[in-house]
Amino acid sequence: MKPLYASLGRAAATILIVVLAIVVALWLWRRYEVDPWTRDGRIRADIVRVTPDVAGLVTQVAVRDNQAVKPGDVLFVVDRPRFELTLAQSDAAIASARATLLQARRESQRDLALGDLVAAETHEQNVARVATAAAALAQARSTRATAALNLARTTVRATVHGTVTNLDLHPGDYIAAGTQAMALVDTDSLRVEGYFEETKLGGIHVGDPVVVHLMGEDQALHGRVDSIAAGINDSERTNTSNLLPNVNPTFNWVRLAQRIPVRVKLLRVPKGVQLIVGRTATVTVKPQVAS
Amino acid sequence: MTGEISLGGVYFPTLLLLAIGATVLTLIVTRLLTHIGFYRFVAYRPLVDLALFFLMLGLASLLTSHFGLLS
Repeated sequence: MKPLYASLGRAAATILIVVLAIVVALWLWRRYEVDPWTRDGRIRADIVRVTPDVAGLVTQVAVRDNQAVKPGDVLFVVDRPRFELTLAQSDAAIASARATLLQARRESQRDLALGDLVAAETHEQNVARVATAAAALAQARSTRATAALNLARTTVRATVHGTVTNLDLHPGDYIAAGTQAMALVDTDSLRVEGYFEETKLGGIHVGDPVVVHLMGEDQALHGRVDSIAAGINDSERTNTSNLLPNVNPTFNWVRLAQRIPVRVKLLRVPKGVQLIVGRTATVTVKPQVAS
Repeated sequence: MTGEISLGGVYFPTLLLLAIGATVLTLIVTRLLTHIGFYRFVAYRPLVDLALFFLMLGLASLLTSHFGLLS
């Protein structure tokens, strides 16, 4: 009987160890594959595409590369002298229109004083000339207002708190209206976006606390889930010129979970951690404390 | 646990390094167990060695995250 007991005991010990190992393996699986965390995260921010509204030579660039700016700070100036000349020209046009109007009015009033000596038709013509001259003056005034607006727009100002980056604009460059002149990183909008597999979205809720580790930084950043993206592009489908969908006929046997951007609002950033747009971040969503 | 380890600028997932560490640890532990004659008490040695590896990996993962190492 003794060998039977011994072999039973050996089997029991083996099973115990294996069951223990299975429990640990399941725990590891959960920890690395199910819990909502991803190494695929990035620091992002809104980029203001600073664009002049008027075309011309860049006469002055008031910022350096990587300079921090406040809303209202001058970034660069486009060909101010030319637009000042245009304004002066429209001032002259106003003066001319006004002179014409005054002369027309005088003529029209003289007709009234002369009474029947002037033909009714001539008088009507003179009255019409007054109206035309008044309209011409109004037009000249509006042209001047446009010129003043263009002159104001020659000075391009920052619209947000931000940092000028990758500046490649120099006095002497010619810039067309509507061409992007520089990029301004909106520092108020700095955030982390984690690209989570769609399989992990069930564990992510708006408001959940988040820990962010930046690549190469020892200190952790803390934040909260701000929002989850409403859509990503469908790569299986493209539109054709006749507006019918072109659906990819191949479908992979082995497939990958797609990744959905989850926006994280940063609440606590340790001093010395540089938030540079595009940096790699590891994002871990903690389960929300039961409320 | 969820971070990365830099080796000369190449970043590895922590789990990979933990697995390598656990393998080495398992080798040492099996030597030790052989020495004290532990294997007399189990039925199927390779299965126990495999189980030991997972136990070591779990232990390493738990310790590193608990003490904030490699995180």
